[in-house]
Amino acid sequence: MRSFVLRRILQSVIIVVAIAVTVFIVLRLSAGDPARIRAPVFARPDVIEQYRRDFGIDRPLFEQLLTFLGSAVRGDFGQSFRFQAPVTDLIMVALPKTLLLAGVSLLLSLSIAVVLGSLAALKPRSGWAWMSSALAAFGQSAPVFWSGAVLVLVFAVGLRWLPSGGFSGFASLILPAIAVTLSILPTQLRVLRTSMEAVLQQEYIKTAKAFGLNQNRIIFVYALKNACLPLLTVIGVDVGYLLGGVIVAEVVFAFPGIGELALVALNARDYPLIQGITIVTAATFVIVNLLIDLLYVKVDPRIRLERT
Amino acid sequence: MSISVATHPDRPRSGPPLWRRLHLNPPLVAGAVLLTVLLLSAIAAPLLATAGPMDIDLRAVRQAPSAAHWFGTDAVGRDLFSRVLYGGQVSLLVAGLGMMGSLSFGTLMGMLGAFGANWVRPIIDRAIDIQLAFPYVLLAIAITSAVKPSTPVLVLLMVLAAWAGAARVVRAIALQERGKDYVKAADVLGVSRLRIALLHVFPTVLPSLMVLAAMQMAAMIVFEATLSFLGMGVQPPTPSWGGIMLDGKNYITSSWWLTALPGLAIVLTSLSLVLIGDGLQARTDALRSREGDQ
Repeated sequence: MRSFVLRRILQSVIIVVAIAVTVFIVLRLSAGDPARIRAPVFARPDVIEQYRRDFGIDRPLFEQLLTFLGSAVRGDFGQSFRFQAPVTDLIMVALPKTLLLAGVSLLLSLSIAVVLGSLAALKPRSGWAWMSSALAAFGQSAPVFWSGAVLVLVFAVGLRWLPSGGFSGFASLILPAIAVTLSILPTQLRVLRTSMEAVLQQEYIKTAKAFGLNQNRIIFVYALKNACLPLLTVIGVDVGYLLGGVIVAEVVFAFPGIGELALVALNARDYPLIQGITIVTAATFVIVNLLIDLLYVKVDPRIRLERT
Repeated sequence: MSISVATHPDRPRSGPPLWRRLHLNPPLVAGAVLLTVLLLSAIAAPLLATAGPMDIDLRAVRQAPSAAHWFGTDAVGRDLFSRVLYGGQVSLLVAGLGMMGSLSFGTLMGMLGAFGANWVRPIIDRAIDIQLAFPYVLLAIAITSAVKPSTPVLVLLMVLAAWAGAARVVRAIALQERGKDYVKAADVLGVSRLRIALLHVFPTVLPSLMVLAAMQMAAMIVFEATLSFLGMGVQPPTPSWGGIMLDGKNYITSSWWLTALPGLAIVLTSLSLVLIGDGLQARTDALRSREGDQ
């Protein structure tokens, strides 16, 4: 068990470092000279040279990489060109908002998936089953930015119930969270429904029924516990998709999270910021995936036995 | 699968009618009809369009949908209905290319993940994991900050973003198949690993590959639209569904049709593909369970 945990942690570290190195090299090789981007357009050659020395790009690439990795480990990703502030500070303001939006969306989507998926599995010919199929098909087809735009049109422009964008408390979370939920719900709904259908066929459920146990208790306690395992895997796989959706929703709703920041950075060709955002976000993913993997081992003893 | 039914030795001379032998189901038919209509209207855009997709008319700026302009007009008076029709050509073509690219590469990687040399397999496993965990939008931002966005770059991004999904499915099926007796028998008989992979196992992947193709195509339609909407995909003035919505983004509070209607085209297209995918999956499952009964 301990060796498994250690191995997974080590793997995660290697993945983060690999991503950091790749991002660094790709940006340095293809993005051009940061000094030229940073310096005023008609700067004198000696001014540009000064910028080069400041960024340390007059030194060999390998040395730059080591310096970069060294300071990244200490949480220093350099100065943003656009905001004239440390990249780390900017990220630390934006990241919690993104994680909040992602967390709320995930929670909302999981609750709907569990309730609706169970009902659909239980009564395959009912309105619930139909609704779950329709919601899955629609969620899979509608891009986040479109459902986001329609939500804004209906609830912010039309009914004036909720703010159309920005971040001013809990109300600002509702519309973006619904848009993101719509996009991540389909997979979870399908997976839970299928696994619930399979679990309901199992002997132990039939036994419980034969013993006359309370129907709701059988389904929502005994069956759901096992039906949720595949759901956990899906969450791990979908983390990337979830954050992708969150980034798009942030742009649509002008929600001041990491996605908005990344797009501003992209348009301003703010390399240090892009670099920092990519690496920090990637690291967030890897950590979430690691946690889910460890949680999975904790929840499902069969895996623990298999791996030790 | 229908072939195996058709060549079954017990098949009566006059079997059931063709449409029954195809084992169609409602979602499959509904999806196929919807997709056909959408494809035809994109192909026939020059015949159906009421105006050129780039004809600017500054006397008719941001007009609401009417008899003259069915979907209204945009900020420079271009007819939105015509732009959506022509945009369909671009979006469908780009999504199709992305789907084929990601499916081919994903299948290759998936098969390698199941049949590759011992040192290759774990590398592919990890690569799939990383790729699935990494948010594609961020990947797109990182790459387009280095390379100028264009349509070929967009297709490349699609392949990069979607190959892992296909690879995971193909790998899982191939691994499952690999453990079966007939593969072991072939192995014992000295059939090479490549031959087993290509001639024995690959055909069993094909039904799932068809489902994947429909689902990936739906995902690619959404992906193209999303990246073009973020300004990282098809570049103006070429109309694409995401690009058209980007044009309308700033007028969302005053001109709802500029974002809502092009989005409807995206939703209908990917909905038709999701229905086809669901239908194909149900069909494969039904045929499999029937085979199991025999």
